[in-house]
Amino acid sequence: MPDRFDMLHLVGLLVVAGGLLLLVLTPQPEAGAMHGGRLDRAMEKQMLARARTDFLKQTYAPVVDLTASGEYAAALLKLKELGREYPGEPHGDILRGEILLAQQAWQPATASFVRGVKGNGDYVDAKSPLSRYESISRVVDEGLRQVGAQVKQHPDNSSLQETMRDLYYLQSRLAGGCE
Amino acid sequence: MKLSSFLITLLLLIALSLLAGCQPETERPTYTIGYMNCNSEAETIQRFQPLTRYLGEKLGVNFKLVPVDTQDFPERFKAGEFDFTHTNSLLYIILHKEAGLSLVATERRGEYGSRTAGAIISRKGSGIKTIDDMKGKRMLFGPQLAPSGFLAQYDLMLQAGFDPETDLSYYGIPHGSFKHEKVVYGVYFGAYDVAAAPALDLETMAAEGKIRADDFNIIGQSRIFPYCTFGAAKRLDTDLVNRFQRALLELTPEVTVELDGEVVKVLDGAWVDGFDQLVDSDYDPLREMARRANMPPYQEF
Repeated sequence: MPDRFDMLHLVGLLVVAGGLLLLVLTPQPEAGAMHGGRLDRAMEKQMLARARTDFLKQTYAPVVDLTASGEYAAALLKLKELGREYPGEPHGDILRGEILLAQQAWQPATASFVRGVKGNGDYVDAKSPLSRYESISRVVDEGLRQVGAQVKQHPDNSSLQETMRDLYYLQSRLAGGCE
Repeated sequence: MKLSSFLITLLLLIALSLLAGCQPETERPTYTIGYMNCNSEAETIQRFQPLTRYLGEKLGVNFKLVPVDTQDFPERFKAGEFDFTHTNSLLYIILHKEAGLSLVATERRGEYGSRTAGAIISRKGSGIKTIDDMKGKRMLFGPQLAPSGFLAQYDLMLQAGFDPETDLSYYGIPHGSFKHEKVVYGVYFGAYDVAAAPALDLETMAAEGKIRADDFNIIGQSRIFPYCTFGAAKRLDTDLVNRFQRALLELTPEVTVELDGEVVKVLDGAWVDGFDQLVDSDYDPLREMARRANMPPYQEF
């Protein structure tokens, strides 16, 4: 005959089993919420990306304006000044690459583009609002032609070989290759 | 028995050859590197001691560091005082032409890597924005043999049809050390109307927060040309020069040497980002400038 203590155990077990059953059988209202959460996160991501793009465009606008008017020295100086506030920002590296390229400084220009692309792959993504696909393509095409010709003349020159490696890296990133 | 004596002799021979490889510093050959003073002798010694120690360790020879005044450099080099040289690019082309100095490696520093440029600046709000606006103004230059502090700007003006000798009311060169910074501050504080500032000094001062980009008008900037350069005397053994070059090109920011009980980063200590291997024709833009400005090594009286 079960005593009172056994009965207490039995009742406890029944309550737990009932609770579990209720949990299993109850329809999950979470499904909708999760879908909403995913949407929220996607939107949040997009908002952040847009805010970042706008911020970069606004912050670096003086550099872009100076570059557009051919004032490369002043543009580089402004970029240096901004570098104090935002050291290592890939957008600065990309702009620096464009300015140096306009001054025919192939080696530092290519190295700067490489730093920028390594810092943020959006610059080689044709669909990104930050995309520099076209200008980096031009750097690669022209660079391989010009630096390539120099390497043929001086095949043992390690500095030219380094620039060629940088150009091949950019070429591979443009083609969709990863790090 | 015979085998063990053979082995002992072999081991002794190996030990002796290893000991011969560890040549004590006093028995190593000594070579001299002449370093052109940029700002002061004390600064030159401080900057290049770690690099000189590194080169000595890497090549297994002794290197003596000699700080040299820019104006004295050609004469002392021609007298055979230095085996290797570290000078600005104008001194390199002078010594290359007049004494057969060969190119070893070019210093990499700043935005243009192993290149640099010279700029003409005025204070923002001065109304001086073009070379034409500089007529009748007072100008401050860097030292006369400075490619990015004198020659580049002088040539820039000549190319614009502006004769610095007659079109400026006055031009001068500051006394003492740190001439390039003095030139920038000369305009900043209004003592002069325009100045010849090396692009690298402007860049460094902006990065250090000493000046702001908006403080100045950049009236013009020269095309880029090679920066400070290591050269080798033609009497030196090619293998030694090649090893010297390789040691410079292989330098990375992590390389350290021990100096007076302290571990020092070689490149950081020398304020250098690295070294590039250029070819002599890369110096042609500077040669063209020197020809147009009637400056050494093409000066005609």
